[in-house]
Amino acid sequence: MNAALEHALQDWYPIAMLGELAPGERKQSRVLGIDVTVLANDSADETDSTPPITVRAEGAPVHVQQAFDHWWVCLGNAPKPLFSIEEAGEADRRFVPCGVVRVACSPLRAVENFLDIAHFPFVHTGVLGAEPHTEVYKYDVKVDETRDEVIATNIKFYQPQAAKSAEGGIQTEYIYRVPAPMAAVLYKTCPLKPEAMDVIALFVQPLDEQTCDVWPWMALYDDTSTQAELIQFQQLIFLQDRSILENQLPKKLPIDPGHEIPTKADYTSVAYRRWLKKRGAYYGALEAQP
Amino acid sequence: MTTQPVSLSRDLAEKQVMRAELSDVDMAVWRSASGVVSAWENRCPHRGMRLSHGFVRGESLACAYHGWHYNCEGACHYIPAHPELEPPKTIKANLYNVTEASGIIWVNAVGTVSPVTLPSNTQAVRSVSVHCSLEIAAQAFKDYCSLSPITANTRTEVVSESPYVLALKAPLPANSPTPSMQDKSNPVSVFIALQRVNQTTTVAHITASEHASETDCIALSRWANKVRTHAEVSVGSTE
Repeated sequence: MNAALEHALQDWYPIAMLGELAPGERKQSRVLGIDVTVLANDSADETDSTPPITVRAEGAPVHVQQAFDHWWVCLGNAPKPLFSIEEAGEADRRFVPCGVVRVACSPLRAVENFLDIAHFPFVHTGVLGAEPHTEVYKYDVKVDETRDEVIATNIKFYQPQAAKSAEGGIQTEYIYRVPAPMAAVLYKTCPLKPEAMDVIALFVQPLDEQTCDVWPWMALYDDTSTQAELIQFQQLIFLQDRSILENQLPKKLPIDPGHEIPTKADYTSVAYRRWLKKRGAYYGALEAQP
Repeated sequence: MTTQPVSLSRDLAEKQVMRAELSDVDMAVWRSASGVVSAWENRCPHRGMRLSHGFVRGESLACAYHGWHYNCEGACHYIPAHPELEPPKTIKANLYNVTEASGIIWVNAVGTVSPVTLPSNTQAVRSVSVHCSLEIAAQAFKDYCSLSPITANTRTEVVSESPYVLALKAPLPANSPTPSMQDKSNPVSVFIALQRVNQTTTVAHITASEHASETDCIALSRWANKVRTHAEVSVGSTE
């Protein structure tokens, strides 16, 4: 087994939303190129110790846990802890699992695109950005050594419709976290509650190195929009992203410098690539692990 | 690699960009507002986005992802995320040699572009994509010339042949439905420029003499459809 796969096997990936499968229902899926079967168990009585869900890879059960309204799996024998999102415990937020979008690109490209703001005026025109408001002002990026996460702060960007709940354009503030190679969490100004921040996360299930299922999840302050409206807004945004992601060449993410040319606006992406390289997260990367 | 056609000039208007594939090379071909045609590697140097999804503004092609603007020499001259920044000279699209001749856009991905010499007084008929190799497509066009090209009792002659262009002298049947094709003193010539997209796809770009009538062009267009079917069936039967 190659080192990139061995490394990726120890991380957790979303496989289904809670409640997606009815008791007794099963579905086929794939994680890191390995076929898996997801079965929602029929637990007849409450004393039954059967877990609500069983996931098998090549016949053998794998680690399963629930978090952020999804079921997560780890196919490795030494699972790392799943990252935390504190806001998932705040009862006054709306929690919105947005379903799944399949994208023919490296899971790492999907995450990197989520960390990028400079594309808003061109890809999400009139919603998350609009010309002439294209400038990306200086912001801060670091690796938080205690949590071993990439963190980008002090990002400000003008947005015509920052969220479903926004009325008119606002200067939006963003914070990004990359807590795992295939997950990213953003905090952005909440239009209805300016002192708080909405949380939007992207959980990526790597089907293989060039295909992924993306599960967006949100924890918002919004008591006016319906769940369907919130999901539709997020789906619209992500489908616009997909038209980019499926047209990047090569499909795998180059993480060594030299293949692609970054600019100042790409500091988060540069930090992400370095962080992947340092931790040996090469699954979905163009380069083989040295 | 030799010079190959990628499009009829007519089919790429000002301020348009299209994707073209040539022997597995993915390209963005675009025409500026003033009419300059360029053919580039289909990849923005910034984040690898296909430039064929971009948009033309004046004399620049802009990438769909972050709006980076490239001039006709391929140099990036504007990065919207940093409007005040003068982009480094090193940010440059990868250019191929391109030229327009006889109503066709010709490209050479690795060397000097030298289009096949054809008369300049031609008109565009159509481009047809055929799911077969270039060799099979070329053979199909030749077969249909000697058998029954445009009408049932017509003979067409291949007057010249290079790897990428067939020049045909149009049929002269007594009962041709198109009067100009019966004119023995001034026969209609048909030119078929072939583009090798990859091993299994070929595009035929068809032009004809200027004096071919609209009816002639419609007849040629239908004939090209028959040739396509013939070529694809012959591939199917050998698989």
